[in-house]
Amino acid sequence: MDTWRIIPFKRHSPFENMAIDEALFRGHQREGDPPVLRFYGWENPAVSLGYFQDAEEEIDCTYCRDRGIDIVRRPTGGKAVLHGSDLTYSLVAGEHTPPFSLDVVETYRIISECIIRGLAKAGIEVQLVEEGRGGAGSGGGVCFATPYKNELLAQGRKICGSAQVRARGVFLQHGSVLLDLDPLAVCAAIEKTEDAGRVQEIKAAVTSVREMVEGDVSIDGLCRDIAAGFEEVLHIRLIEGGLSPEEKAFRNRLLEDKYVRDEWNRKGRGRERGY
Amino acid sequence: MSFPDDLIYSSEHTWARVDGDVATVGITDYAQDKLDEILSVELFPVDSSVEQGEPFGVIESVKVTTELISPVSGEIISVNEDLADDVGILNSDAYDTGWMIAVEIRDPGELDNLLDAEAYADYIEANEEAD
Repeated sequence: MDTWRIIPFKRHSPFENMAIDEALFRGHQREGDPPVLRFYGWENPAVSLGYFQDAEEEIDCTYCRDRGIDIVRRPTGGKAVLHGSDLTYSLVAGEHTPPFSLDVVETYRIISECIIRGLAKAGIEVQLVEEGRGGAGSGGGVCFATPYKNELLAQGRKICGSAQVRARGVFLQHGSVLLDLDPLAVCAAIEKTEDAGRVQEIKAAVTSVREMVEGDVSIDGLCRDIAAGFEEVLHIRLIEGGLSPEEKAFRNRLLEDKYVRDEWNRKGRGRERGY
Repeated sequence: MSFPDDLIYSSEHTWARVDGDVATVGITDYAQDKLDEILSVELFPVDSSVEQGEPFGVIESVKVTTELISPVSGEIISVNEDLADDVGILNSDAYDTGWMIAVEIRDPGELDNLLDAEAYADYIEANEEAD
């Protein structure tokens, strides 16, 4: 049975979260290194932008600033996500590390199966979207409003959205499982509207763990369930670990040179520097 | 899936068409097929320096962002501006109108690290079997 590393849940700043994910991704050797699963939360609310999004165009930067919502750009593509009341996971693995492959959609499907199994343990029945009901560019700017193939719906409403980046034979997939939903904040921060109709649409299209489960749900319990989902579906064993000294050094460099910088977070400038 | 004989290929699924000391660079038919519908591409600007095995841009498809890895080292002397108007040509014509950058080659000896069409096809086949 293969063993993977699991980095247990911890809250960090939005900038550190992205720096850690990218350090794990960049530091991973395409062959030989076991995959790494990480769970994390957000010390303060943040909007994460997809790699190609423009902050000024896509989201309400003034609303975010006034409410202490940080803006951070992800290394992955896709649309904007409002974080704070979510459990985020990341997975780093070689593209050819079994059971994964170059097939992006299949990789999503495999990871989705693990999360489905985990959420089922938490009492949430989740289905895989077989056919995306929105193509590229639909669903407004909100990631969660646009289910694609192989994403996760609970009672027909999106509960988990994910994104992936690949380079040099390694992939990073991270995704957000909603614990609570504040549709007004989502609309205001990401769609620049507080229109009641749109808020209702988001509410109808998106759900959360706490809406699906009666009683309290602990983050630790949910992490345990999802980790068990990975172990059972993939027949692996997860061994707790932290960042290596090299990964910590890379995290620090990425944090300082990239993720705390407005040039990166607002416009993505500096991308040609080759990160 | 085609791999023209007049190109050389990298294991990162980019191709180079070498003419004198200039290499035109793009992604292979295999890469565009795996990426599925390509939504946007960001390339390093003219006059940037690129290294063999290092990034020269980023490409975004429906659900994945992928770094573009240069098959050659040198200086970018031209970027395909047509991609800004119609990124779809990367899916429809990856080897011709879908070229990405032209690079003035710094070290022709590096070309020996690349694969001919047959070797690239074998490389893909081996990877597919392994998966």
